[in-house]
Amino acid sequence: MTRRRTIRKVHALRRKSGISIVLTTMLIAVIAIIIDGLDRQIPLTNQSLIVPVAYVQDPPPTTPPQQETPPQQETPPKKEKEEEDLLLEKDEDDLLFDDVEEAEDKADPATMDQESVDRAHEKVFLEVRFPSATTCRDCHPKHYREWSVSQHAYAQMSPIFNAMHGTILKLTNGTNGDFCIRCHTPVGMNLGEPEFMSNIDRHPTSREGVTCIVCHRVSKAYGKVSGRLAIAEGDILQPVYGPTGNEELTRVLANLSKYRVVTDPDQPGRKIHTEARKFFQINQSGFCGTCHDVTLVNGFRLEEAFSEYKNSPAAKRGVTCQDCHMATQPGVDSEYEEGPAGFVGGVPTMPRKLTNHYFAGPDYPIIHPGIFPHNSAAIVEESQKDDPTAEGLATIREWLTFDYRAGWGTDEFEDNVPEDYEFPERWQSIDDRYDAREIVEDNLELLEWGAEQRLAILKVGYRLGEIETVQSDPQRIRFKIEVRNGTDGHGVPTGFDAERLVWLQVTVTDRNGEVVMVSGDLDPNGDVRDLHSLYVHNGELPLDKQLFSLQSKFITRNLRGGEREQVLAVNYSLDPLPFLRPETRSSVLLGRPGGARKHKQGLAPLASRWATYTVDGSALNGQGPYTVNIKLIAAMIPINLLSEIMLVGFDYNMTPRELADGIREGHLVLWERNKSIDVHVNGS
Amino acid sequence: MRSQKENLATIFACMAAGSVTAAVCGEPPGDAQEETVESESRFPDVPMPLRLEGFPQRPKPILELGEPFLGTGTLDPGFEIPGGAVLQPSLMLFGSYRMALQTFDDGRETFSEWVHRLDLFMNAQFSGTERLLVGIRPLDEDGDFTGYFFEPDDGDPSRGEWNASLTTLFFEGDLGEMLPDLDRSDFKSNDIGISVGRQPIFFQEGMLINDTIDAVGLVRNTLLPKNGSNLRLTFLYGWDNIHRDDNLEDNSAQLFGVFTEADFPKSTIALDVVYIYDVDDASSGLYWGLSGVQRIGYLNTSLRILGSYAKDDETPEVSNGHLLFGEVSWTPHHTHDVAYVNGFWGIDQFSSAARGPSEGGPLGRTGILFAAVGLGRYGAALGNRADDSVGAAIGYQMFLDEKRKQLVFEFGGRTSTEISDETILALGGRYQQAIGQHIILRFDGFGSWREEGDEGWGARVELQFKF
Repeated sequence: MTRRRTIRKVHALRRKSGISIVLTTMLIAVIAIIIDGLDRQIPLTNQSLIVPVAYVQDPPPTTPPQQETPPQQETPPKKEKEEEDLLLEKDEDDLLFDDVEEAEDKADPATMDQESVDRAHEKVFLEVRFPSATTCRDCHPKHYREWSVSQHAYAQMSPIFNAMHGTILKLTNGTNGDFCIRCHTPVGMNLGEPEFMSNIDRHPTSREGVTCIVCHRVSKAYGKVSGRLAIAEGDILQPVYGPTGNEELTRVLANLSKYRVVTDPDQPGRKIHTEARKFFQINQSGFCGTCHDVTLVNGFRLEEAFSEYKNSPAAKRGVTCQDCHMATQPGVDSEYEEGPAGFVGGVPTMPRKLTNHYFAGPDYPIIHPGIFPHNSAAIVEESQKDDPTAEGLATIREWLTFDYRAGWGTDEFEDNVPEDYEFPERWQSIDDRYDAREIVEDNLELLEWGAEQRLAILKVGYRLGEIETVQSDPQRIRFKIEVRNGTDGHGVPTGFDAERLVWLQVTVTDRNGEVVMVSGDLDPNGDVRDLHSLYVHNGELPLDKQLFSLQSKFITRNLRGGEREQVLAVNYSLDPLPFLRPETRSSVLLGRPGGARKHKQGLAPLASRWATYTVDGSALNGQGPYTVNIKLIAAMIPINLLSEIMLVGFDYNMTPRELADGIREGHLVLWERNKSIDVHVNGS
Repeated sequence: MRSQKENLATIFACMAAGSVTAAVCGEPPGDAQEETVESESRFPDVPMPLRLEGFPQRPKPILELGEPFLGTGTLDPGFEIPGGAVLQPSLMLFGSYRMALQTFDDGRETFSEWVHRLDLFMNAQFSGTERLLVGIRPLDEDGDFTGYFFEPDDGDPSRGEWNASLTTLFFEGDLGEMLPDLDRSDFKSNDIGISVGRQPIFFQEGMLINDTIDAVGLVRNTLLPKNGSNLRLTFLYGWDNIHRDDNLEDNSAQLFGVFTEADFPKSTIALDVVYIYDVDDASSGLYWGLSGVQRIGYLNTSLRILGSYAKDDETPEVSNGHLLFGEVSWTPHHTHDVAYVNGFWGIDQFSSAARGPSEGGPLGRTGILFAAVGLGRYGAALGNRADDSVGAAIGYQMFLDEKRKQLVFEFGGRTSTEISDETILALGGRYQQAIGQHIILRFDGFGSWREEGDEGWGARVELQFKF
């Protein structure tokens, strides 16, 4: 009886505890909701993001990078430059006032106060802190041209980067801050722009991504800071940093009239930097390493290109990153060009070593060719579109409605266009369409050149080796293919290797051309059939169990059940509130934080790996000999990434399928080979 | 897309049928080149505009000096120090506060309590690679927590464990980055990581070491073996604050360890060896762990084998034994969920090289039923010691509401391989959801059945605030 009473008491107490828990839960929930309310952020609107722009741009060079031609001499200085100079001098010219007024107009009158006006003025003032690449282009057209189509120039323009960064930001509840985007638009982050917004509304220099001053206004060897390096501020008159020092500039500055430049901020004319300081690290690998070794604040080693290099044979040989990536042959330690680094007032400077600022690599642009490559003749800012002195042809939004694929602006199209064809208002004029087509053609030419450079460097990095038949009898055909890393400077893929897809597509056909085995084929979205293909994920297509891919994988630690691959390395399994803060354990000892890591699967420098394939006897139809077609293909990213990042939407009003098609169109077949295999019966 | 309900039905149908591979669960063969008409897997061809409204902004730490932590704006140019390193110092305070109301009955005793835990850290960042981390847990010490204790009746129900003891104090960095003038051209592979001070050490998922000790470690990472993709080598020497397998501090112990991890195309292999030297020569021991983590088809798998050997006689600090530990999980079609089956086999008396006072035994990764919650006296429903026992857990973690809510169900059990009538089974669950940018609300519950003894049960609600 005593025990029963005790049990009843315990049960009663448990019931009381249960009531307490329920009440406390409700209390906690109320508190949580209140705190949650305090956390809510002010919604961002496009209006609040528009940066007033007072910005005058010069015509683009008309020659492709490889056809170096000095620009024509210009006398006297153009009116537009005077206006730009006035801006740099922070005078209140009309353009400036127009922009401020426009910013005021766009703001909510109910909340527009003196503070807002001051902020608008401040934004205009900020523009003089970080000169645009178009300013540099006046004297360095070759460098500009190469850079304008580069991955550095595309870094922020990429809608995939924008969505990926936005998704990570959202999944980490804002705690990832400016981590990703600090490298992609250092100017935008210095200007204090929101981390996530449309590129259309960013400051034009912010859209330039890794622009000239991001490297040439750095004065210290910051080491492995994952891109968090300070940019020296100031207008074009302020010193720049380069590999050679001040000697040639001093000579130029001694002949201001010959070169038609001015160094007095109050004097009208083409302005020039007054000093070129030698920075020892700018031609050393460590300089690249400031951005190309990316470790998150929690110790996650996202990119290790520089660390790989430091342990590579190339480093031991004394070859720098620049030797392979800025010389004449992409990816090869080759000769540098010689020539004038600048054309000041149309006059070439003394010949010297020239470096290629294209930096060929695996990425390729998939956006409208009217808005990329950077072309100052193309884009006019929204705030200037009614300004007749503004140079650009159309705003980004207007460009996005220009259907270049349909042939607008070509004779073939315009001569046959039906009368009832409906053009957007901006493109009603045939002259404008022809002007736009000219810009598009120029940009497409640049893009084609870039694609050639990309193919060249990827072919250096990835090699197809031997192909060997291991077994060929009625039971099965087995063969293996060797894939090699052709470079000794780093692994391949390197850098953002968890999103670099390089794979073998292997198709075995019989003598009638019937496919008996395929691996590395694509699903309808354009993905290989790995775990992240939506078709495989949803059970509509089988997993490609023989797939050979060099893509590294993000691995997250499950709440329970070991680890799994994820497209993005944001671990939401351990708790539903991923929250990025410094790791509370040593991140160097384990080489990673507790919740996520990267499973590297690339090839070490000069290493090789065999991919083995089997065609089961049941698939063999006796119609040999069989032909094995092998393709080594490179894509900048796996298309399945889109499914993870569409959560926050895509810039430029693009559709997921448009993006997927763009990625797929950029797939490059690096190497292709065929091999014939006959089936031997009883030793025949 | 299927509804969560349909997904769940499918998943449980598959699990009930005993099929763990997704291939068995209705995967049709297909031609990759043919597009499935109106497939849900096909990317839509409609614009998806940016969703800017209500986008989360950076939540500031409670204190930040110097540059804002991952904030926009200009960056401090920093200053150069002798040796060539450029410092950009900043400091921040961050951490988490946890509060729970919970009751736990292991079949022998009931604990009902309202308890608190505060983990507070100060991170002083000097450069991209160098930092000093200081941590305190002012509301708990040596496994005792501040709170109000309803039962058992141990006198004053209100208890405060206020303290300012440093639980973490270590510096970590990269020797090559600290002295860049030694190799300004960066041709030498002098990237040697270093970590020194009182720091949490965690290897082999905490089964080999899970302790906070005074130690110095040197690391070479991003090594490039010809037949692999990456290799890490870590050397560790620990001289103080080492807790042994009985969770008690051993003032006479020193730790020597070599830890390696390599990425191969199919697998990540880790091999770790530790020797604990007892200066009194009473409980020295050798420990090792070998693991392979890989994906095989649709399955995520990991297998670990660990061993411990007493140099002399077995003691509470060190004993002879082995532990086999396996984990299998998969993500069912149409979901991001995780279904898992984990199991262990403790052969003899495996002992960890070092285990902190609140870390219990090595089996917490088996399942949520095998792990304590790390707050108060709400323990593991099934225990987490590995001595002469075998056990397993099967569970399912479901994600809801853009992964901001999750539900976990688990069934587990264990039995002794030496003693009869020691079988225990348990069924448990967890629900947790994010609220806003800082808060997690979490509920746990379980019920257990013992072959010999009373049933156990537990229920709790927890609020966690991250800052």
